[in-house]
Amino acid sequence: MEAGALMREAAAPPNAGAAFADMVAPHLDALYGYSLRLSNRAADAEDLLQETLLHGLRAYGRLRDRDRIRPWLFTIATNAWRDRQRAHARQVSTVSLDAAGTDDEFSLFATLAIEDPFPYSDELHLDFLRLFGDEDVQAVFATISPVHRLPLILTTIHGFSCKEAAAILGVPLGTVLSRLHRGRKQLERGLWEYALQHRLVKVGDDDD
Amino acid sequence: MIDCREAVGRMWVYLSQGLEAHDVEELEDHLGACQRCCGELEFSRELRERVSQAGAAQVPPTVRDRINELLAHDGQPGESA
Repeated sequence: MEAGALMREAAAPPNAGAAFADMVAPHLDALYGYSLRLSNRAADAEDLLQETLLHGLRAYGRLRDRDRIRPWLFTIATNAWRDRQRAHARQVSTVSLDAAGTDDEFSLFATLAIEDPFPYSDELHLDFLRLFGDEDVQAVFATISPVHRLPLILTTIHGFSCKEAAAILGVPLGTVLSRLHRGRKQLERGLWEYALQHRLVKVGDDDD
Repeated sequence: MIDCREAVGRMWVYLSQGLEAHDVEELEDHLGACQRCCGELEFSRELRERVSQAGAAQVPPTVRDRINELLAHDGQPGESA
């Protein structure tokens, strides 16, 4: 390539958008999934994904290490989602986020052993999980408070370590650990209650 | 040795590579001696796997097209600040 062309390209890259699209292509499904689990609605997820990518396109010149693009994109998505939440904050009551709740002591593993919904099963716990279709799991997931859902999504669905999740969320590691714990407890209780409500399981004193 | 309650509390962090080496050692010591907690760790793995499967998604082709369009358009010289 001649020097003039190089100069022109440095001044105004004609295909910045296309080059960026190529860079993010391997991460699009994950980012879309993240957006879906954050917003719980396909239309909102698409908006959030678009917003994330536009932010990313404008900022990626400042991304020093291209190998870090995945956590970087997740950080942008998280911040974009928070901005949206803030815009709707007047409708949403903000309760104390890290206060101890009733979910802390619930154990799905122990509840299944005690309630024993499959008396003849030698795979009691697995049988319980097999009752849930993807939509059922997603419905339960959506009931987890967002602040506790975030670390759960990042670590469990997207495979980030707790430390990476802390960096993406911009909170201390200890905060991620306690929120992850509470998110897990909400998930466990949510699955059990969903199973009862939708009559996926029948337990002893439930005779109506 | 740590008790079952403590062990159970550490499991998900353990599975997300969030435990310090010393805490891992204590947990693994406990697991070596406690069949119940081994069962719960296995269940935690299965549950996380189930959640992970249910949480996976694919960008619908129409959305992918709109995104590529949007980026190509937005990346044109003079289009964005």
